Amino acid sequence: MSERNYTTVNPCIMCQPIGSVMAFKGIEDSMVLLHGSQGCSTYMRLHLAHHFREPVDIASSSLSEKGAVYGGSENLKKALKNIISRYDPKVIGVSTTCLAETIGDDISRIISEFREEENIGDERIIIPVPTPSYEESHNSGYIKAVEAIVKTFTLEDSKKEIFNNKLNVVLSENISPEDTREMKHLFTSIVGHNSFILLPDISETFDAPMTGDLHKIPLGGTTHSDIADMKNSAATIGLGITNDNRAVNYLEQTFDIPSQNLPLPIGLEYTDKVLNALAEISGMEIPDEFQKERGRLIDAMVDAHKYVYGTKVAIYGDPNNVLGMLSLALENGMHPILVVASSKSPRFAEHAMERVNQVKPDCDVTILEDVDFDTFNDAVKKAKPQMLIGNSNGKYIAKDMNIPLIRFGFPIHDRVGAQRTLILGYKGAMRMLDRITNTILDVQDAEMAAKWSEPESYVPLGESSFHSAEA
Amino acid sequence: MPDITSVVDTLDERKPYIELKQAKKSSELACDNTSIAGSMSQRACVYSGARVALNPVTDAVHLVHGPIGCASYTWDIRGSLSSDKETFRTSFSTDMKELDVVFGGEKKLSKSIDEIVELYNPPVIFVYSTCIVGIIGDDLEAVCKDASERVGIPVIPVKSEGFKGTKSDGYKAACNALMQIIGTKEPEITSEYRINIFGDYNVAGDVWLVKPLFEKMGIQVITSMTGDATVDTISKSHGAQLNLVQCSGSMTYLAKWMMKKYGIPFTKVSYFGIEDLAIALRTTAEFFGSEEMMRIAEEIIEKETARIMPEIQAIRNRVQGKTAAIYMGGAAKALTLIKGFRELGMEVVIIGTQTGKRDDYKQISYQVKDGTVIVDDANPLELADLLVNQKADLMVAGVKERFLAYKLGVSFCDFNHDRVIEFEGYDGFLNFAREIDTSINSPVWGYVRSKLGAGTTQTKGTSESAEQNTADSKKVVGERSNMHDININTLQGSVI
Repeated sequence: MSERNYTTVNPCIMCQPIGSVMAFKGIEDSMVLLHGSQGCSTYMRLHLAHHFREPVDIASSSLSEKGAVYGGSENLKKALKNIISRYDPKVIGVSTTCLAETIGDDISRIISEFREEENIGDERIIIPVPTPSYEESHNSGYIKAVEAIVKTFTLEDSKKEIFNNKLNVVLSENISPEDTREMKHLFTSIVGHNSFILLPDISETFDAPMTGDLHKIPLGGTTHSDIADMKNSAATIGLGITNDNRAVNYLEQTFDIPSQNLPLPIGLEYTDKVLNALAEISGMEIPDEFQKERGRLIDAMVDAHKYVYGTKVAIYGDPNNVLGMLSLALENGMHPILVVASSKSPRFAEHAMERVNQVKPDCDVTILEDVDFDTFNDAVKKAKPQMLIGNSNGKYIAKDMNIPLIRFGFPIHDRVGAQRTLILGYKGAMRMLDRITNTILDVQDAEMAAKWSEPESYVPLGESSFHSAEA
Repeated sequence: MPDITSVVDTLDERKPYIELKQAKKSSELACDNTSIAGSMSQRACVYSGARVALNPVTDAVHLVHGPIGCASYTWDIRGSLSSDKETFRTSFSTDMKELDVVFGGEKKLSKSIDEIVELYNPPVIFVYSTCIVGIIGDDLEAVCKDASERVGIPVIPVKSEGFKGTKSDGYKAACNALMQIIGTKEPEITSEYRINIFGDYNVAGDVWLVKPLFEKMGIQVITSMTGDATVDTISKSHGAQLNLVQCSGSMTYLAKWMMKKYGIPFTKVSYFGIEDLAIALRTTAEFFGSEEMMRIAEEIIEKETARIMPEIQAIRNRVQGKTAAIYMGGAAKALTLIKGFRELGMEVVIIGTQTGKRDDYKQISYQVKDGTVIVDDANPLELADLLVNQKADLMVAGVKERFLAYKLGVSFCDFNHDRVIEFEGYDGFLNFAREIDTSINSPVWGYVRSKLGAGTTQTKGTSESAEQNTADSKKVVGERSNMHDININTLQGSVI
């Protein structure tokens, strides 16, 4: 394929508002309202419902031509009013779309007018987040919304109240509900129950248990008192290092809360890093449970090492997820020849390179960011990996190349269980490694089966093509 | 006299959009308006309408002029299948950035078109306008006109700014685009009798179960729009003598235009369900007035019905008496589903659409029994309320509604873009019946309200238990009466 300069072919990213939606869905008793035309909300609902397999309600101000010409203030106010009357949420996140941004609606002003006109008390919080779709990606929308949430809840009185001796944990990238549950378990086990505040928390809201009851707003999410309490915490950990975690910076700068940003705990070493940091910050010892889990992971790595060693993989998706998966692949002796972040992030390439140099300096890895699937496709064809690791949208390339795709990240719309996929922590690493190994064994089985039908071409297992990669 | 407030709790503004079918009472349902802000409509936008209607043109390049989101969410949105090219599955976008919004995106669009022609050499490029384009005022028509002359293929603007109306306006925009292609090539005539199939999107390969039926009757099917259509067949579609319109919401406009321009009459049909299929084949044969064709049609109807009937009958025995809720994008599908359910011995208790018009709702009203709720542009809270209060056992809708139904313990059938099995034609109806059976009779529904520690669960959740209403106002609804029943005998039996 020759050079393209003006056309995006098969996008890897989504727009900012959907990132914002994901962040708000991790807050207790909250609704999101997209200020724009009806389609934006419907598309995002569809996208999220496909991935999480949950009902997803996202309101729209349903801007029409009239609104576009004379301003969307009337629609936005009406939408807010209707949401309050039907859902009675305590928090409403108002995100803009490209339409609202371009017609120049000042949503903060409209919201304050609305508060006054409708006599909305302080107990109802409305959080504006400008998220024009012609800037950046869903990742930045997520980070911006998380920052806006923290700012709004801690704005009231910018002084510290009572020191709570808690640890803030702020995500800068969407992780699965199962991963969120695992993180909560991990933090609870190390720093203690009620000693940390995790934001945002989609463990229940995007993966509600089936009871036969349907709640207007799914239960769960980070509680409001917890978010407000973040300014009184002892320390903050930002999870995700490829982007600026704006909420973490804000907490540090405004309330003098010492912070550090750590990678998402994917694979052995990044999990070690997070656990060690937790132990250090809290002064607690890491429970035996995790030593055992870690030991089991190493055991699994030993079980797998002969099968996975040298396997050429291409990893793609959201930057922090990809960085973590790169780390996992490297420490298992795999050969990540192509590492691709869907969006641009300030430190993705740097961290990815650093990790490669630490573990496998001779690995000829290609690192790309902010590319579409067409560019990725070209890179895959050139690099000839034996396996893809990434979201569902890579299925076309995998099919075309006749190589397996191991699904992880967002979106996964053609398989069940995205909300239950565990990647994080030692346990997540173990599961991921088993999936990778078994996929390799499946391929070998298929190759062997083909050979069985042709006895003269029999090749011993160790020399099968899947292992022809460098030793 | 029951009133709508007894079955649904909603905004005052929404009340005219919902009615309870009652004999001797004719009221007119409000419809065909833009959605109410904040009412959580299940609808999409003009762009979405245009995209779903045009997208299945398999060898076309569909270029979205706007920021990345619109292209990102609609990438391969339809489960339409193709017998040849797969170009339509590729998502092309100009990915407008802030600077394009400030300085205008015309130049980028124009260069993007050149690039696409060079790299893909498609027979046509459809250029969709999005919200932003409507606001900043890029002259899409001028850019496309210039480009057409420059690159030598039709570059057709699809005027689909998201905010400029509803999904139905998008269908119109798509039809307007198709009009630019129709009649541009001379048709190759292979039969005395020629038709076009309109309003079938070949989801899961539907058309492939329908087209052979007509061909068996000696009819040449020039094109099926837009499912599995190519630019070539569309351009020759004026060679038909009859247009069969299935999805009337999206394609009637085009059929009317063809009648005016080429004098080709159209008739509305459906290929879903035994009765409607028979009607479609008979009407077509009658139109051509060929005795031979009528004989073949009758033969197909008899043979095929006899072939699938034993299994349909067996399934009917298992699902008879169950109640269904229908919430569809278009009214044509909703209408034909009523008959389909009747063929399985099921009754419809809720029926709604996103884009139905006044006449559609009148039609629907004739078809359903008293006490059925008819709703336009429903939202999740209304649907949840209705599912429970109308005691629906099954819902037929799209993905957004699927998990809502599941959470309420209601079985579900996807009759939208996502399905991977055919529902049209004789085998399609068999597939549909099997899916209904599978879902309704799965033991899983018996577990939905079960709890640990309350003894074993009862997997047959059909007996009635007392209505329980929880006071929790945040809960959408009270308990479903028939889903939860703990049998004291089973409970004791389980304690050893």
